[in-house]
Amino acid sequence: MNEYDDKWEDRINALLDGELSADDAELLKAQASDDRELARAIIESYQLHQAMDQINVERAPDSLTKRLNAIPREHRSKPAFSLFQPRWAMAIAAIPLMVITISLMRPDTPSASEIAQARQEMAIAFAYLDKAAVITGREIESTVGHTMANAVTGSVNKVIQSENLTSKEKEA
Amino acid sequence: MKRLLMSKFVIGLFCTLLALPAIAQEDELKNLAGYVDFGDLSATYGEPKITINLGGTMLNFVGMMSSSESPETSDLISKLKGIRVQIYSLGEDADVAKDQFGKTRSNLKSSGWEPIVQVNEDDEQVLVYMKAVDGQMEGMTVMVVDNEEAVFVNVIGQLNPTELATVMDRFDVNVDLDLD
Repeated sequence: MNEYDDKWEDRINALLDGELSADDAELLKAQASDDRELARAIIESYQLHQAMDQINVERAPDSLTKRLNAIPREHRSKPAFSLFQPRWAMAIAAIPLMVITISLMRPDTPSASEIAQARQEMAIAFAYLDKAAVITGREIESTVGHTMANAVTGSVNKVIQSENLTSKEKEA
Repeated sequence: MKRLLMSKFVIGLFCTLLALPAIAQEDELKNLAGYVDFGDLSATYGEPKITINLGGTMLNFVGMMSSSESPETSDLISKLKGIRVQIYSLGEDADVAKDQFGKTRSNLKSSGWEPIVQVNEDDEQVLVYMKAVDGQMEGMTVMVVDNEEAVFVNVIGQLNPTELATVMDRFDVNVDLDLD
């Protein structure tokens, strides 16, 4: 097909589609009356156009329709785990916030009042240790006498001290 | 539904993170050789009237604060890893506390603690046990049960009673104790 044929084909298609202006249509008809090849081309195109219009659209079977509809779903890329998804982004952003909150709520360095409270609690614990020592000393004294009580409590202290001395010697 | 689960997950994570320091400190003490499990008497006598849990970190700070005014006190505290005290008011029935007292004593014996002092009177029982590992003192526990209260004291680390008497004089603490 040369440029000459392309030119006529475009005009014939435009004529059949009703897109050719009235002047151009008259001109084409005039030329077709002088050119048998052109006239035949117009007739064949018209017949082909009519035949195309007579073709009905056949409805596809349901099974084929379902299968065709399923193809895009099967080939759709599954949403991969992404840290940029909103929920994960929010969760990740919340982590440093929680860490900062916790660090503010529980500072590593206790305040002076907390240390004073701890010192008070330690003194209470020591006072109860002292109480136990007084009770045991009193019981020993009531049983074996004052002199023996001092000897017993003294030996108890020596036992405990000897453990400390042993550990210090090991450390040395 | 998923959003609800996510919210629960985040809230749970947040609560867990908040409790982590306390849990970690308690676990740290539990793993020490000088730790004693006194059991729980709160089901019978209610919450303890005094509960003290001092870990090594807080004791270090107390020791540092005491170093300028009393080197002896600071030295004593530096050897301690933890102090725990539980004191229950017993009311009229001391039997449950005495049973727990006996259980704890059995546990101490079976886990290598050595009795230092034991007083067994009808109305008063006192136990002082010490734990040493490889000749090094790891802890001391004192338990006192009379008809009014049960006292459980657990000192983790090394404690010299003679040093304690010296240090006690320096503490300006008013502790009301019934020694009768």
